Amino acid sequence: MTTKALELPVSHPAENKPISLPVHIFLLVVRSLTTLLRTPEALLPPVAISIFFLVIYQSTLGKAASFIPGIGGSYLGFILPLSIVSGSLSGSGIAAQNLVRDIERGYFDKLLLTPVRRAALLLAPILAGAVILGIQAAIVVGVGLILGLKPATGFLGLLAVIGLGVLLGIGFSGFTVSAALGSGSAAATQGASFLFFPLTFLAPTFVPLALLSGWLEVAAKINPITYVLEAMRALLNTGWDGKAIGTAILACLVLAVAMYALAAFALHVRTRRV
Amino acid sequence: MKDREIVVENLVKAYPGKVTAVDGVNFRVDEGKIFGFLGPNGAGKSTTVKILTTLALPTSGHVTVGGYDVVSQATDVRRVAGVALQDVGIDPLMKSMELLVLQGRLFGASKADATSRAKELLDLVNLSDVADRRAGTYSGGMRRRLDLAMALVHQPRVLFLDEPTTGLDPASRRDVWREVRRLNRELGITIFLTTQYLEEADELADTVAIIVAGKIVSEGSPASLKAAMGEESINLVFATPELAEQGRSTLAQMSDRIQLDRETVRLYLSKAAGAIPSVITQLQNVQLAPVSLTLTQPTLDDVFLQVTGQRLIASEAIKSKNSRSQRRQEVN
Repeated sequence: MTTKALELPVSHPAENKPISLPVHIFLLVVRSLTTLLRTPEALLPPVAISIFFLVIYQSTLGKAASFIPGIGGSYLGFILPLSIVSGSLSGSGIAAQNLVRDIERGYFDKLLLTPVRRAALLLAPILAGAVILGIQAAIVVGVGLILGLKPATGFLGLLAVIGLGVLLGIGFSGFTVSAALGSGSAAATQGASFLFFPLTFLAPTFVPLALLSGWLEVAAKINPITYVLEAMRALLNTGWDGKAIGTAILACLVLAVAMYALAAFALHVRTRRV
Repeated sequence: MKDREIVVENLVKAYPGKVTAVDGVNFRVDEGKIFGFLGPNGAGKSTTVKILTTLALPTSGHVTVGGYDVVSQATDVRRVAGVALQDVGIDPLMKSMELLVLQGRLFGASKADATSRAKELLDLVNLSDVADRRAGTYSGGMRRRLDLAMALVHQPRVLFLDEPTTGLDPASRRDVWREVRRLNRELGITIFLTTQYLEEADELADTVAIIVAGKIVSEGSPASLKAAMGEESINLVFATPELAEQGRSTLAQMSDRIQLDRETVRLYLSKAAGAIPSVITQLQNVQLAPVSLTLTQPTLDDVFLQVTGQRLIASEAIKSKNSRSQRRQEVN
């Protein structure tokens, strides 16, 4: 054991100026990404599943799809958005899993004992998760290009598709993060991510919206995923459609605002001193 | 205002529909002292720590740490207090260097300052060699030392250690003790320590308070608590119960309390060590030789038993305590 003497600071620590929120967010995002990249076993399955379905759909339905009216371009351009969206949904659990791990390990409490800004505790894992979602979507798009995807809107259109996928994932992260904060349990958080799974199918998943009817049509029309799929499909198959993109962004924002209200409440409950 | 004091006045923590976890606790930890909070599981130790470290609010009462109120000046308390909670709160995927630098930066240090501080602390807790290994690969003792280092990043004036050695092997426990003593001695950090090990309180604390069911039942220095117990005992073991009976009658006039238990005679005295020569002389006069002679001093365990009517369940600690407190002296 060394016997190095440590000096106490001359300055009064309580007089240090408070650290700004962006700095705290930045520090914690870097830290979240560091640990996420050390758990590739959590990152690979969502992207692997997305690619698996993309290849399966394209191989099994690619030819039959020419009988479905209203696809408006290639079947690949029609089905790739589904792959990205399902990746966003399964990937939305990443932020929450990261957070729940901190809660279970006691590191979250350790952070609460620092002057860290509370909002940073919520935003950092979500932003780190968004970075991962973006990478996942880019990989899926890359696989689409290998399979012969020819986007109607070019490279910028592909970026827009990835951006929409990330935006949707951020909204759903708000929900899984709420579950993580509320339950403090990895199992419950995992369960919450599965809740989205049916949502993928309450949408114009395999056929255009015009072909849906009855209750499914109603469900699809209130499902934000519908608008994201429509906008992505337009970008890949028909061209820039300002209305579709605007609607999709709006749908994502509505979702995000609702989910963040929930997450902020869950954070308040978790960090409230009782 | 003394900036290294802890003052707790009439602290109450009641959970609705449950028992009162902390029930009117008062104590004061003076600057630069080590205060040991001793009690069994569920006695209210951890609840008290949570309130003192701003993780929980008191139901009533007044608590200041380093001069700051834990309710209204929580952020100030967090800046002056270092905390190592009972469950080591570290991310196993991160390296100890990364954890310490992040901790420092969250407290407002620049990257350079946080890095040099981290190096200093890794040196202090003897983890420099493994700074680039993930914390998940560390042993329990190493994790505890890392946790201690994290609690020290912002150069706290008051340190809270909640059961710092629970679950550690004896060697790691002694390492932690050495660190705690050094931090206190060299840096003058006031230390509030909870423990369920009597030996630990005895080793480290200047003042010990025993808490049972949310109330402090006894408080004082380990020595004074033990002194209040009164007597030490001289334990003599003879070859046969008959010889022991002879020994008992020979020594009967030395003490009001003398016990015979098969081959063992226990003689209770206020200054037992000083009486040993006379005991031996008297036995020699009647040509009696005991097989062994041991001296038992009252322990905090005895204090605990007397004030609470129960023994602490910490078998490991009790075992090692006994071997320490009985100074064997083979005769014959």
